[in-house]
Amino acid sequence: MNRRTFVNLFLGGSFLGTVVSFLYPVIRYLIPPRQAEAVAKRIIAAKVGELAPNSAKLFRFGSSAAVLINTSDGELRAFSATCTHLTCTVRYEGDTETLFCPCHNGRFDLAGNVISGPPPRPLEAYEVEVSGGDIFVSRKA
Amino acid sequence: MPLKLPLREAKRRSNLVLLSFVFLSMPLSLSAQKNSCVECHLQLENSLRAPAEGFAADVHKQFGLGCPDCHGGNPAQDDVELAKDRSFKGSPERSKIPEFCGTCHSNSEYMRRFNPNLRVDQLALYWTSRHGQLLKKGDTNGAVCTDCHGVHGIQPANFPKSQVFPWNIPQTCGRCHSSADTMKAYGIPVQQVDDYKQSVHAQALFEKKDLSAPVCNDCHGNHGAAPPEVTSIAFVCRQCHPSAGDLFSKSPHKEAFDALGISECEACHSNHRISSPSDDLLPGGKQDVCIQCHDAGTEPHQTGLKIKQQIDGFVASSEAAKALLAGAERKGVEVSEAQFKLQDATTALVLARNLTHGLSLPEIEADLRDGSKILAEVKSRGEAALREAKFRRSGLVIATIFILLLAVALFLKIRDLKSSPKHRG
Repeated sequence: MNRRTFVNLFLGGSFLGTVVSFLYPVIRYLIPPRQAEAVAKRIIAAKVGELAPNSAKLFRFGSSAAVLINTSDGELRAFSATCTHLTCTVRYEGDTETLFCPCHNGRFDLAGNVISGPPPRPLEAYEVEVSGGDIFVSRKA
Repeated sequence: MPLKLPLREAKRRSNLVLLSFVFLSMPLSLSAQKNSCVECHLQLENSLRAPAEGFAADVHKQFGLGCPDCHGGNPAQDDVELAKDRSFKGSPERSKIPEFCGTCHSNSEYMRRFNPNLRVDQLALYWTSRHGQLLKKGDTNGAVCTDCHGVHGIQPANFPKSQVFPWNIPQTCGRCHSSADTMKAYGIPVQQVDDYKQSVHAQALFEKKDLSAPVCNDCHGNHGAAPPEVTSIAFVCRQCHPSAGDLFSKSPHKEAFDALGISECEACHSNHRISSPSDDLLPGGKQDVCIQCHDAGTEPHQTGLKIKQQIDGFVASSEAAKALLAGAERKGVEVSEAQFKLQDATTALVLARNLTHGLSLPEIEADLRDGSKILAEVKSRGEAALREAKFRRSGLVIATIFILLLAVALFLKIRDLKSSPKHRG
């Protein structure tokens, strides 16, 4: 192989590589791989002082519902608001200080444990952290 | 005058006293550990050896109890005659087993020492059970304590290997209740356990390992086991399904069922073989249960048909919305807000299905109307997401074409330059 052939091959290969490296991300964009949604890890659920004692706020955590509760003692707690029975959204009941699922009357305590009704498992509990003026909620490691 | 010993001497003497005490008490402690019951029974075979082997893992042993606590006798003695002294009770007759166990288990003062939370009414309950009633009549085929809890290897009920741990209970009850020979004399069918194993409850217990799923004793009781009366079945189901029960109680079915003496939940959902509830149980479905009482074409059946049609329509819209969002997500568009909304639509659907127990068409329609509004919003967001994906792709394709054209043009230009006379010169 003479020098000219080598240089031509080298240039041609480099050009092909450049074209492939340009087209690959385009094709991957047009045909994205099937993959699960990235799970949200941490979110600002509310501002400090936004929740009165013995009240709660539903918020979006990734694509699911979550609930932040300010207990009557002023303690912040957060749980998944998706009932473990048939995935209805649970709500906070201030008079009983429990989480209630309206679909089948499932009831959870403020530790997420099932008190009554058909839910088979406790609600997933999240970590709550106050930083600056924000209340952050994150999934437990 | 008191003799004052130097400190070192006093210490030496106290050590001597301690040492002598240890040596003197040694035979005593050795004899306390001795268990001639176990020693002898381990040399025997089969049923006589089993108690000694099994007791090693028995809950009673874990709490410091031994053979004489139940059987009497003196295990410190090597001689059989001496070991089986006047306190020796031996093995109780089968008919005496409940009282035998009840000696301790009905004694609240005694049981409190080991577990203050343990119930002590088991024996009293047992005598009210079908098993206990049989035994009272002198029929020893009825189950006694050891049939369910085992003997000399008894585990606490919350230990997964216990015969009375939830996922072992169907097998424990089935040992007698699935035996045609045993049940023949009592005219009791034997397919209950097999039926249960095909139920939604068994599916939850065995497949999902959900320990809150009911097993035999949750509906029939354990120590006081008996089949629930027709009127109590609904109360049994309400223990876990209170809202369905409340809705049913307010429905026109309640009065009709009471008048006819039909058990509430069981009439539509059956008993042991309770399948996962589906819309097919409604009129027009493959397992239409309403047809049992309401002929097709009658007003109640027609109302049921309307309910099913409304639910079916909502399910179809919900599935379409889910597919739309899934498609948009696959194309790389962020749709979490719409998926979050979709959960409210799911809540409306589950609620509507539960409302069928109340038979109120207006309530179901109102709930589904709310859900449909949510679905419409989800659908609109999904369609917007798909339009966004289409726009991005079109833009990318157009940009790619332009870039490729530019590359081709550059290539042609370079070739043209190479072949020009100036370049050759």
